[in-house]
Order: sequence, then C-alpha cells, then structure tokens
Amino acid sequence: MSLLRRLLPPLLVACAAFGVQAAELRLITHSSFDLPKPLIADFEKRAGVKLVVVKAGDAGEMLNKLILTRANPIADVVYGIDNTLAAKAVRAGVIEAAPSARTAHTLPGGLAAIDYGVVTLNIDKAWFARHKKALPKTLAELATPAYKDLVVVPNPATSSPGLAFLVATVDALGEEGAFAWWARLRDNGVKVAKGWSEAYYTDFSRNGGARPIVVSYATSPAAEVFYAKEKPAAPPTATLALPGGSFLQVEGAAPVAGGREPAAAKAFVAWLQGAPVQKALQTTMWMYPAVPGTPLDPVFRHAPEPAGVKPVDAGRIDANAPRWVARWTRVVLKGGR
Amino acid sequence: MLARRALWLPSAALLAAGLVAPLLRVLAEGAGGFDLALLLDPYLGWRVAWSLIQATVTCALALVFGLPLAWALARFDFPLRAFVLRALMLPFVMPTLVAAIGVLALFGPHGVTGLNLQDTPWLLLYGNLFYNLPLVVRAGVDGFAAVPASQLAAARTLGASRLRAFWRVEWPLVRPWLASALCLVFVYCFAGFGLALLLGGQRYATVEVEIYTLVAYELNFADAGLLALLNLVVSFAVALAYAWRERTLAVALKVERLAPQKPRTLAERLALAAALSTLLFTSFAPLAAVAASGLSAGWDVWRGLWSEEGRLAAFNTLRFTALATLCAGLFGVAHALAARRSLVWRAAANLPFIVSPVCVAFGLLLLYPAYAASLPLLLAAYVLLAYPFVAKSLAAALDAEPPELARAARTLGASPWRAFRRVRWPLLRPALSRGLAFAAATAVGEFAVTLFLSRPEWLTLTTWIYQLLGRPGSANLAAAQALATVLMALSLVAFWLIERQTDHARTR
Repeated sequence: MSLLRRLLPPLLVACAAFGVQAAELRLITHSSFDLPKPLIADFEKRAGVKLVVVKAGDAGEMLNKLILTRANPIADVVYGIDNTLAAKAVRAGVIEAAPSARTAHTLPGGLAAIDYGVVTLNIDKAWFARHKKALPKTLAELATPAYKDLVVVPNPATSSPGLAFLVATVDALGEEGAFAWWARLRDNGVKVAKGWSEAYYTDFSRNGGARPIVVSYATSPAAEVFYAKEKPAAPPTATLALPGGSFLQVEGAAPVAGGREPAAAKAFVAWLQGAPVQKALQTTMWMYPAVPGTPLDPVFRHAPEPAGVKPVDAGRIDANAPRWVARWTRVVLKGGR
Repeated sequence: MLARRALWLPSAALLAAGLVAPLLRVLAEGAGGFDLALLLDPYLGWRVAWSLIQATVTCALALVFGLPLAWALARFDFPLRAFVLRALMLPFVMPTLVAAIGVLALFGPHGVTGLNLQDTPWLLLYGNLFYNLPLVVRAGVDGFAAVPASQLAAARTLGASRLRAFWRVEWPLVRPWLASALCLVFVYCFAGFGLALLLGGQRYATVEVEIYTLVAYELNFADAGLLALLNLVVSFAVALAYAWRERTLAVALKVERLAPQKPRTLAERLALAAALSTLLFTSFAPLAAVAASGLSAGWDVWRGLWSEEGRLAAFNTLRFTALATLCAGLFGVAHALAARRSLVWRAAANLPFIVSPVCVAFGLLLLYPAYAASLPLLLAAYVLLAYPFVAKSLAAALDAEPPELARAARTLGASPWRAFRRVRWPLLRPALSRGLAFAAATAVGEFAVTLFLSRPEWLTLTTWIYQLLGRPGSANLAAAQALATVLMALSLVAFWLIERQTDHARTR
C-alpha cells in the first residue's frame, strides 16, 4: 500500500505527460479557505491531479451540505471541520480516517488537525484609553453596568465564532450558570450581529460602530498590523482573554467517505500538514499551525496565544450544541430564561 | 398562434426546475416531522407579525417619499437628469455590508454628520428607504412620463388647479405603475435579509433568518419547510391580490408623452431642489461616503487590486452580468407575454422573490448534487432572481398598451413586423429597459452568490468584497470600499448601455 502510494503520484504525472487528462480532486471547504496559488499548483504537479476548490459557506453550513449529499458525494476531501463539528461529521459517516502527522491538538474520527485558533474577545485599545476605563477581569464583570452597551457578539445560530464563544461560556460556567450570565449580559445591552463581519465592521468601535468589545480571534490584532494601510508598531486592538471566555478551535481535514480519489485525498491531507502550507496558512487564514516546530511568522508576535485554554470535548459539543443554541436564542433574543 | 401558446413554457420550466422542485424536495426531506404547533409559538408569531409590519410600513414610506420624487423627476428637466435616473439603481448593486458601512459613515457613532442613529428605529427606516425608493421612483417616473400631455393640458385649461389636475388626471394613470413597484417592495421586505436587519441587529430578524438557522445549521427540514410554506402563502396572497388589482387598474395609454421641462417658476425650482436633496439624502449620500473612502484608499490599495485576482473578478462580474441579463430578458419577455391572460401566471412572476432562498439553495443541492458546483446552475440562479424584474415591468407596460394603435397600423397596410417595430416597440421599450437595468443590478449584486456552492475561479467583485470583509485590518476595509467604487462605476456603464436608446426616444 505504501509502495503504491509512493508510486502513484509519479505514475499520475507520467499519465498526464502522455496527454491523459489529469484526474480532478474535489475539495470542499468553508468560505475562509485561502492558500497561495503557487503552493496549490505545486501540489497539483506532484499529485498529478487538478484541485477543484468548492466553497460551501460557513463551516457548519459546509458540513451539512456534505451530510445531505453523502449518498452521492460532491467532494473527495474536506478541509475546515473543527472540533465543534467533528463528532457530528463522524456520527454522520461522511469522512474517512487519514494518516496524520503528530499535532499539537487532535481531532476525533481520524480527522487530521491542520491548524488551530482561539476565539476570544477583542478590544479597541484607543476607545479604552480615551474613556479611561479599566478592562474587565472576569466574564461576570462584563455583565455589570460599568460595561453596559459595550459588547457585540455574532449570533451562534448563524456564525461559527459566535457558537465557539457560547460553548466556551457553557464549558466554563456550567449550563445553568452560563445562561444566567447570558441573561445578565442581555439586560446589560449586548448587541447580536448576524456574523463576524457584521460585528467587526459595523458594530466594533474600531470600525463603524460604538462597541469596543467584540468576539473575534486571538490572531486578529496581528492581522490588524499585517493589513494596516501604514504599518503600526503596535496593533490598535488587543485580545481580552477573560477566564472562560476563550475557545480553542482546531480545524481538520479528511478524505470524504465514498469520494472518487482516495489516494489523492490522503496526499492532500498530508500536504496540508507539510511545512510550506503550515507556514503559509498563518498569514492567509490567520490560524496557528497544528504541526509542532513550524516557525511562526514574525507578525504573530502580536498574536500571543491566550494561556490555559483547554479544548472542550467534541462529543459533548455534538450532543448539546443545537439545544444550547436554541436556549441561547430563547434567553438572549426572546428575553426568556 | 401555437408559438404564442408556448410562451409560458420557458419560464415555467425554469420556475419548476429551479424553484418549485427544490422547495418540494426540501418539504419531502422534512415529511413526517411537521408539527403545526410550531405556528402557535408566540415568538414565531411575533416574527411573522414583525415581517408583515415592517414590509407594510416600508411600502407606505416608499410611497410617501417616492411619489413626489417620481413626479419631480418626471416633470422637470435638469442637467444630469439621465445620470440621476441611472444612479438611482446603484443601491441595488451595493453589497448590504458595504451599504451599512456607508450609512454608518454618515449616521454612525463616528459619522461625519455627528448624528449617531445606530440602534435607533430611524436607521432601520433609513435603510429601508435606501434600498426600496429606487424601485418606486423609477416606476413612478415611467408612469408620469406616460401621462398624455393633451389630457393634462385640457384639465388645466378647463380651470383645474395643479393639485386637482394631479388628482384627477395623473394619479389614476400612474397608480398601476406604483402598485407594481410597491408589490415588489413588499415581497422583498417580507422575505428580506436586508440592510435594515443588518443595521438593526438580530432583534429585527425576519422569518428568513430562522429558516436559515433551521436548514443550514440544524438540518431541521420539517420546521424550516413549514416556515417557508407560511412565508410563501402570505407573500403569494399579496402577489395574487395585486395581480388582480393590476388588471383592474390598468389604463390604456395615449401615445403623446409629456416631455420633462425646465423648471420655470420659483415654486417649480424649489420643488425640484427639494426632490433632489431628498434623493441625495436617502439614496446617494451613503454611496458617496463609500466612494469617497474608496477613492482616498491610497495608491497601494488600488495597485493591490489591479492583480490577477482583480482582473478575474472584473471579468467574471461582466461575464455573469451580461449572460444573466440577456437570459433574464428572454425569459422575462416570454413570461410577460404569457401573463397577459392569466392571473396566476402574473402572480407567479413574484415567486423567485417569495420562495425562501435558503430552501432553494439546499433543495437544488439535494436534487442535482452532480451539478451543485457547476457554472450553469449558478447562472440559472442569477437568471431566476433577475428575470422577474423584466417580466413585471413589461407586463405593466403591456397592460397600458393601446390596442387600437397597432390595429390601425395594420389596417393602414403595415406588415405585422412593421406595426410592431414602429408602433408597439417604442411604447414598450422604456419598460423593457428599466426591467433589464434592474435585472443587471440584481446580477451584479449579491443575491444569488452567498448561499450556493462557489469556486475561487468564479470570483466576482461582490464575492471578493465579502472575502476582504471576512478579515480584520484597515487595508482590507479600504480595499473593499475601493472595489465597491469600481462596482458602482461598472454598473453605471452597464445601465447607460442598457438604457441608452430610451433617453433618445424620450427626448425626441
């Protein structure tokens, strides 16, 4: 088998060279997937396949599209299933195990971890300096009048970071404690936006809005430096990693069950864990590389990893997420309990 | 004759395969799980009531603001009039997120007006007017332009005041045109994931947001299907009621049209100035704010846009829009001609705006998985959402067509083709152009793109804008605004190409 795997790519290249049309490897992924074109071309050359990238919306939407079409799969390999969705993917039987390199965090069901990020609160530094307001130190403090009308969160029912933040609070405060806290946050004027983009660009005070605290990623301050029009020495935003307010999100890849190109799918997963992709994904997808020993991009000095954030059990998320989201909607949007 | 009978076929096939079948597929997926108790949920009841209220209020507002604006734009000639009429459609091409950024640049916490309206109902209403006034004003301008000069002159000569002349002569004639636009505004708002929602936050979410969560996140097709049906029934009832009224309201036109004239008296000048300032306030100011940020984005940002990616996005935008507008024209004309005799068929032109887009996207995926990520399917979705503009606009014009003219031409010996070319075509052309321009605007805009499977090689300016706004950073925001500026410029060129002949015909 391993001999075959070693021989297959050169064989495929040879076929291509003889004018046989290269096979297609169909990748399904979420809308944030972004890797440099030359890297992808290099993979295509080595694996002897043409990579067809299909973006299927947000990660949750993507997995559901994959589940719905499992009888007749629309892709051969998937990237972007994270630990909030991994158990659901395994339960639905839409993925197959792929050999994985040793990684900092792992995922169930043979999903190879590719990268990870930390969903956490971000603050507008200038706003807090201007208003001479101290930063809150706990989630409980965030729900006190001192921070009234200062927070915006994406809706967990329509946004992955929104769901991640909700799960973090439930994991830290317990279900009853978490929803009691959300009820206090609601009474304290939390604003709910449809997705991350809406929250960050229309409600966050750094951009169009009035709220200096937003749910985002630990790498966002580094991205603010990287994508600044004039490079600043320090980022204009900072993470506010309150205890219980951070979620470790691990993203993985795997061949799709019943896909057409199983060998190329495995090669693709291995390629995602290879050094060039692990390096490139940092500044294209703004995640930390999952393979230990990958050098970090210099701009990541503005993206320190919040300490002590533990992954939440994937099975627990799978078993409870729909109920938590429904209850969140009831508490925060409908004003119930 | 046989050919005429077959006119309903193309759009019937498109609606059946692209809309009805996917919805039925989603309903079948949820079959067995329907629970009517869902409809009794008070929260949901509030959502439906809210959807109805905001759609009705928006219609009322659009009429109150749109009617005087349309009258002024139709009656007065002024420099840049043609430009203003085209620029009026620009809100349609703006991705909602960029439009919201533009609105907040004016009335947000850091807005240039110093007036912070964020999280107040005023901003919701403003957002609604921004998107919906264009539909009402453009339809109204066409309606007022079709008022026969002789009738108005006769009324005035016989001593009617301007107001009375308006009420007795102009209003009955322009009413069907406005009703057609208002019907569209209603179904749009009722279904809408719109700007209003974005500006108001999730508190103001309509039922469609609920359907999205149920389908895309929970795969709960039973509840989603039930809600989608509920939405469909309410909207279709409105569309049907309107279709019935439309026929009874229709008034056959006379041919001599009233050309716009330069304002002469002080009162006329003031009226025109008031109309233009209102438009500036409601429709153009947020666009101008986006364009100002885009143009001042700096050389580095603009150079970054002129990349392989940028050229691909511009090329795709042009290619998809041209194809979608062309097909929308063909399907729209066929539908409008077929709808002359059938009430239901008339209402059916609204279906693409009524059927839950989330259900359609997932239904298509379930029905045609092999074609899910194919270009024809994406283009079909664009056409489906664009052609009703042509169909509805043309249907209204066909109602108003005086039948005796074409008959007279034929009696006087004109061939059918010549009678069409010289008599009917000049009367129908403005409505067709307006429909096509709105169809193009829809295709340029975001409507079809976000829910379907997409591929990086299909990058358009709109999808690129959303990608940029998916990441933090001032350069991304600047690039998105610069792209939105390009989008507006390209759209103006497209509108100019589509409506070029119409101006000519009008000023002749």
